[in-house]
Amino acid sequence: MFAIRSSDPILLNACKGFDVIICKMDARHSHIYPYVERSSSFICILGLLAKTEVVMKSGINEDANGNLWRKPTETIGAWQTGVETKSVYMNYDSMSTKVKVKFRNLCDENLENPNLIFIITVCSICPHSRYIEKILKDEATEEKGERARMASFVGAMAIADLVKTTLGPKGMDKILQSTGRGHSVTVTNDGATILKSLHIDNPAAKVLIDISKVQDDEVGDGTTSVVVLAGELLREAEKLVGSKIHPMTIISGYRMAAECARRALLDKVKDNKDDAEKFRSDLMRIAMTTLSSKILSQDKEHFAKLAVDAVMRLKGSTNLESIQIIKKAGGSLKDSFLDEGFILDKKIGLGQPKRIENANILVANTAMDTDKVKIYGARVRVDSMAKVAQIEGAEKEKMREKVQKIIGHGINCFVNRQLIYNFPEELFADAGILAIEHADFDGIERLALVTGGEIASTFDNPESVKLGHCKLIEEIMIGEDKLIHFSGVEMGQACTIVLRGASFHVLDEAERSLHDALCVLSQTVNDSRVLLGGGWPEMVMAKAVDELARKTPGKKSHAIEAFSRALIAIPTTIADNAGLDSAELVAQLRAEHHKEDCNAGIDVITGSVGDMSELGISEAFKVKQAVLLSATEAAEMILRVDEIITCAPRRREDRM
Amino acid sequence: MAATAVQAPRSGKTESYVDNKRKDDIRMANIKAARSVADAVRTSLGPKGMDKMISTASGEVIITNDGATILNKMEVLQPAAKMLVELSKSQDVVAGDGTTTVVVIAGAFLKQCQTLLHAGIHPTVVSDSIYKVSLKSVEVLTAMAVPVELSDRDSLVKSASTSLNSKVVSQYSSLLAPIAVDSVLSVVDPAKPDLVDLRDVKIVKKLGGTVDDTELVKGLVFDKKVSHAAGGPTRVENAKIAVIQFQISPPKTDIEQSIVVSDYTQMDRILKEERNYILSMIKKIKATGCNVLLIQKSILRDAVTDLSLHYLAKAKILVVKDVERDDIEFITKTLNCLPIANIEHFRAEKLGYADVVEEVSLGDGKIVKITGIKDMGRTTTVLVRGSNQLVLDEAERSLHDALCVVRCLVNKRFLIAGGGAPEIELSRQLGAWSKVLQGMEGFCVKSFAEALEVVPYTLAENAGLNPITIVTELRNRHAQGELNAGINVRKGQITNILEENVVQPLLVSTSAITLAAECVRMILKIDDIVTVR
Repeated sequence: MFAIRSSDPILLNACKGFDVIICKMDARHSHIYPYVERSSSFICILGLLAKTEVVMKSGINEDANGNLWRKPTETIGAWQTGVETKSVYMNYDSMSTKVKVKFRNLCDENLENPNLIFIITVCSICPHSRYIEKILKDEATEEKGERARMASFVGAMAIADLVKTTLGPKGMDKILQSTGRGHSVTVTNDGATILKSLHIDNPAAKVLIDISKVQDDEVGDGTTSVVVLAGELLREAEKLVGSKIHPMTIISGYRMAAECARRALLDKVKDNKDDAEKFRSDLMRIAMTTLSSKILSQDKEHFAKLAVDAVMRLKGSTNLESIQIIKKAGGSLKDSFLDEGFILDKKIGLGQPKRIENANILVANTAMDTDKVKIYGARVRVDSMAKVAQIEGAEKEKMREKVQKIIGHGINCFVNRQLIYNFPEELFADAGILAIEHADFDGIERLALVTGGEIASTFDNPESVKLGHCKLIEEIMIGEDKLIHFSGVEMGQACTIVLRGASFHVLDEAERSLHDALCVLSQTVNDSRVLLGGGWPEMVMAKAVDELARKTPGKKSHAIEAFSRALIAIPTTIADNAGLDSAELVAQLRAEHHKEDCNAGIDVITGSVGDMSELGISEAFKVKQAVLLSATEAAEMILRVDEIITCAPRRREDRM
Repeated sequence: MAATAVQAPRSGKTESYVDNKRKDDIRMANIKAARSVADAVRTSLGPKGMDKMISTASGEVIITNDGATILNKMEVLQPAAKMLVELSKSQDVVAGDGTTTVVVIAGAFLKQCQTLLHAGIHPTVVSDSIYKVSLKSVEVLTAMAVPVELSDRDSLVKSASTSLNSKVVSQYSSLLAPIAVDSVLSVVDPAKPDLVDLRDVKIVKKLGGTVDDTELVKGLVFDKKVSHAAGGPTRVENAKIAVIQFQISPPKTDIEQSIVVSDYTQMDRILKEERNYILSMIKKIKATGCNVLLIQKSILRDAVTDLSLHYLAKAKILVVKDVERDDIEFITKTLNCLPIANIEHFRAEKLGYADVVEEVSLGDGKIVKITGIKDMGRTTTVLVRGSNQLVLDEAERSLHDALCVVRCLVNKRFLIAGGGAPEIELSRQLGAWSKVLQGMEGFCVKSFAEALEVVPYTLAENAGLNPITIVTELRNRHAQGELNAGINVRKGQITNILEENVVQPLLVSTSAITLAAECVRMILKIDDIVTVR
């Protein structure tokens, strides 16, 4: 065996002229980390270590394919062994992992002395060592093992800390300053919006941003909570890894804890689906809780009512498409209102009726100017002015024909995505048809949807075109602007929320907040299970998880305990953001929760522990479940990482 | 790079401490930046406020007293400072006046926030207090306000002239104020008495003369010459007006076309045809009795040619060309006519009627006036004159502010005293109210009550009075129950400001307070600036 105590002077002598691998035996860890002096191959171990023969061969083979080696990046420094080593490089790639497997036997034999240092000499002559250094492309980098894990922990935690202060009813806002053109400024409290717009280079941070996005798409709310929870889970995991618990152990502990927490929540949910009145009040509470952390908090009752009314109209569908949000600057947030039907932010053409009852609407996307010959270079040659006039007349005639065809559909309202020029406009006016030009694409798609029509672009077969219908079209005025209101539309659930507010910052943020509330409500309508809010669910989960930790034997219990600590971090953050004494409050809360059937949560307004069911703070079960599960999954995914490879950026062509 | 992330400090326990410190810094930096913006416009507040000269990047020079305009041109970059600019804009949208006041109030609030935050009060508490202050203020102001009827023209004129008094054009306020009032009142639709669409009031600027020559025209004014080539009419009585969206010029197709001429006779024929074509058009027009044509601008072809002008002149038809498409709606509304897009549709029922259409020489230019319109729509036109471009522009802005003031009164028919009276009264009542509040909020409300004194203070300062004496006396008078005591800048003393006819709409004051409060709260709530794509 060439495993020799490091201080052995004979070996040191023998090592001269060779590169050296120093291995530190660590009893608590089942693996060892080999360190290689200068870049070299394991070629010589083959001869020296009989036991590793097979492995080494495969190592070399892979090596020869040029896939495994990399340039050492950093000097770690002299190893504290008494051996004078000039420079030591860390190397932790898949080849050495294989070495590790074999070394483990060796390790087991020497467990009684955990700090035993092995020095294995390696021949420096290796035919591959030159090009091995450049296997990855220039500029591509690789992070391995400990360092890779560290990088992902730090990245993920930095992201979590960034949005942490926006959590809870007294959470703070962020300014998002765009580096793009115009340096536009957004002020927001919405986690998903902040994260979406960040510049991120850290891959683990990207994972967190992704879960926030998914949360936004799936349930609409809890985008900050999910990131904060994942961040806390990783913070705890970092400590556990620091105390030498294998990531896989942590992961399995987290899994058990998450499952247990979910079951604890399931036990406590309330479902008032059958009682319509109670269900509505549940919805109101959820909407108010969601809105209370947003800009709309001052008028949350008003907006909660708007949101609930809008969602109740949907009758269980989660298609938020049919709820249209229109923003109009001016007035105050309180002036916002819900209107049945559809509002189009356009003007009615000149001289056309401003009010139509029982409208038949044709929604179209067609060019209303002359249908040109679209061949390039086509031109007409004539020999007299009269003929030019004739052609012009013919062009006009074509326009007129098209208009006649459209009128032939038996409509009294025509909405076009493209411009309607003066001439057709006048024709429509003469026919008493209301024509709206240049509607935005989103607008006409929605209009077609809610009025039950289809967007048409040819008009030769009136019978195949599906017209939209509505009871009344009229021009209304909101603030300073005139808009067109379609009421009594075919799709009964359609409605429009008109938001008013002092500035565009306020309006944009209000729209985001309202969207969150609408998402949560529409999800709750389908899954009517409801929980209390204000840190209550976290405490319930933490309690259950704590109990599980006590019952679980083995290292896993550390991880389970850590999970419970991470859960408690959420009420702690809520209290911190409100400027309250979080340690005191959370301790009180925990004591309260020790009793059976407790409704205690943090009452941010008075700064004390309060009864959440009395305060009317509720959250949707679906949101909490999504937060719990996706945060755990994200943390697990990041924990599993042991290598980060950054690919070389694609080079830009010089455009000279 | 991942490597840089590793180097970032990541110690577990000290982290929160370090972070909080940084967040405080950002909040303070935001407050500072916003305050400096407020300070920049402070000196332009009030009737004796000073003007700013702004020279833009393109070398254009603007002289103005209007807060919104100054801030708009200032090109601030700091996001919090930008929010103050937005604030001023919002006030402009909501009330149209008080754009400086709102920024000054926000600045004063922010100053107090700084002290409060230094005292260790949590920003959310401060923010909630501001909200309460704004609610209470609206209450107090509403209680102070005096209802006004739209028939009470004098009161309206008074408030319009208060707004105008702080502008460059203040010496003309006696002229401009009635114009503003009359023009707004004439566009109010009796069916919807609460709504005023200022787009129905058109302001036409014409260089030359003085602001004195500004007039309200019951009808239409075009800043254009009549197009006439060969002795066409420049004045038509009993006009029958057509607004047309086609051109009286040789035909042109959308498809590329060319006329192939192979010999001289053909050329002659083409010219003749062209003449016939135009002549037939004009005959059709003449047949309806039309004698005034307003032609919409076209980018594709000439509105009129020399030839068509000649024939039009012969037919005694007055022509105004190059009317902007955006103006067509206004014109048709005013003339009560319909636009005509094709010669085939030229019918008598689409015409509008007016007593006189004439070209008038003004200074070095000419304008076209249409007056005595039959069945005129609810629109008015104000012709603004000024001796140079700068005065003209400022006069337009001032007039716009005055119009907005009158509009505010139409929307919300309450007047309130000016001259710092409402602010000092607010300060007094809020101060008293703060004593019944509990906890930190009481403390915060008290300091914001003091902050509101900034308006009378600045008014006095800008007028060259001793602000401390004036504000103290003002406070004293209000404590004795003189609700409407305010600073009379002209006399340099405290008088009953309602009697001095210094009044402003309630909406201006309330929206100034609520908007300023909203903006300050937003700034307070921000704890980080994140740079994004």
